[in-house]
Amino acid sequence: MASNLQPLWDLALKILGLTGAIGFLIILVILVSLVISQNATLPKVRRRGTPVHLLVMLGSGGHTAEMLAILENQFDYSVYTYRTYVVSSGDELSAKKAVEFEDTIAQQNGNEKAVDNYTVVMIPRARRVHQSYLTAPFSTLHCFWACLLVLLGRHPDQRPLPAQYPSNHPDIILTNGPAVAVCMILAAKTIRFFIYCLRWASGKGSKPEISRLRTIYVESWARVRTLSVSGRILLPIADKFLVQWQPLAGRRAWWGMKETEYCGWVVL
Amino acid sequence: MVQKLCLVTVGATAPFEKLIQAVLHESFIAELEKHDFTRLLIQYGKGGQPIFDAYRAEYENGKIVHDIQIGGFDLRPNMTSCLCMVREDPSIGQELGMMISHAGTGSILDALRAGLPLVIVPNPDLANNHQQELAEFLAEAGYAIVGKLDDIPSVVGQAAQRGDQAPLFRRDNGDRSIMTMSDELSWVD
Repeated sequence: MASNLQPLWDLALKILGLTGAIGFLIILVILVSLVISQNATLPKVRRRGTPVHLLVMLGSGGHTAEMLAILENQFDYSVYTYRTYVVSSGDELSAKKAVEFEDTIAQQNGNEKAVDNYTVVMIPRARRVHQSYLTAPFSTLHCFWACLLVLLGRHPDQRPLPAQYPSNHPDIILTNGPAVAVCMILAAKTIRFFIYCLRWASGKGSKPEISRLRTIYVESWARVRTLSVSGRILLPIADKFLVQWQPLAGRRAWWGMKETEYCGWVVL
Repeated sequence: MVQKLCLVTVGATAPFEKLIQAVLHESFIAELEKHDFTRLLIQYGKGGQPIFDAYRAEYENGKIVHDIQIGGFDLRPNMTSCLCMVREDPSIGQELGMMISHAGTGSILDALRAGLPLVIVPNPDLANNHQQELAEFLAEAGYAIVGKLDDIPSVVGQAAQRGDQAPLFRRDNGDRSIMTMSDELSWVD
């Protein structure tokens, strides 16, 4: 009996060993990419006056409120010439607020309505309130897929960008939580990973190019001494991690990684 | 007639009956009268209506007597008009009042932007440690007072003293922060 089972055991062990090795390799590649990505210096090749595409994640409720305050106070819209707002499906309020905000910008600039300068995109939620944790991974994947489409400019809610934008990728991705923001930043990093690999594979790796899909995470103003869950996940991933309270400044995921930056109360 | 308002907010997400009870207590109302307040406006939120209605019924029956005009509502999507009523405006005979908040970020930011004397009362029934932390840091920096549920009346005097000082927060006074992102755009020098 035992001798009959022996080959099966061997096979099972081999499969286990192989998956272990592949898993280890994948984790290694991810870790190395994160280190390289966070420590990369950007080539200064973007010419002043060229249009900039900003993607803003409106998380819902308090996240949206903080983000709108940031948008109101911190940006010069003659520089950030095109805005894509991403809201969670069902969050009509955030979508409405994005449109209202765009109307105020248009009024300030003397235009009646400038619908050509922005889009509002709706993507599925990563996890609905009270959703089971069993189905959450699937909805998170669904959300991630939608994020990829948005960043590639292929989401059905998007219209083609005006001709002066050379790339479908947004230049800056601004987020401040919750789970959908994590999905968006992960999606951006995934696309950048493949772009990076392709560039090196085609021998253009060292040629300076305009950097796009740069991810910025602003920790909530309500976080004084402890990072939020989204914040902790994004600490080794986001390109720029801004905190609004001094005690959170200088945090980093591990040795050699980028530190969080204190930016003051940008929501006020 | 000069008006002076105390605004109380409990937010939309969680009920905070203890705070509503505390601000409708006679000792708190007496303290308001002592500091020349004329009005008390309560955003009582979820589950707060029965307490407020019971109080109003007692008042209308003449069981409670005081000069404070009391109003209440469940929730408003936009609190701007309420916040404006707390601000100082001599042209319509309005003195600087105060705001008591349930430690919700939105209401705290609103109060800071409007430059109102602010009392933060964290809800002890919510295991929300970072709100407590935020309240303590703001108190330390002098932007707010942290109130305890069992001693709400004392905050009126404290807030009134605060109100005499310089405005609490000013965007255009060097307190405003600027977010730098140009390094992410990496312009040509």
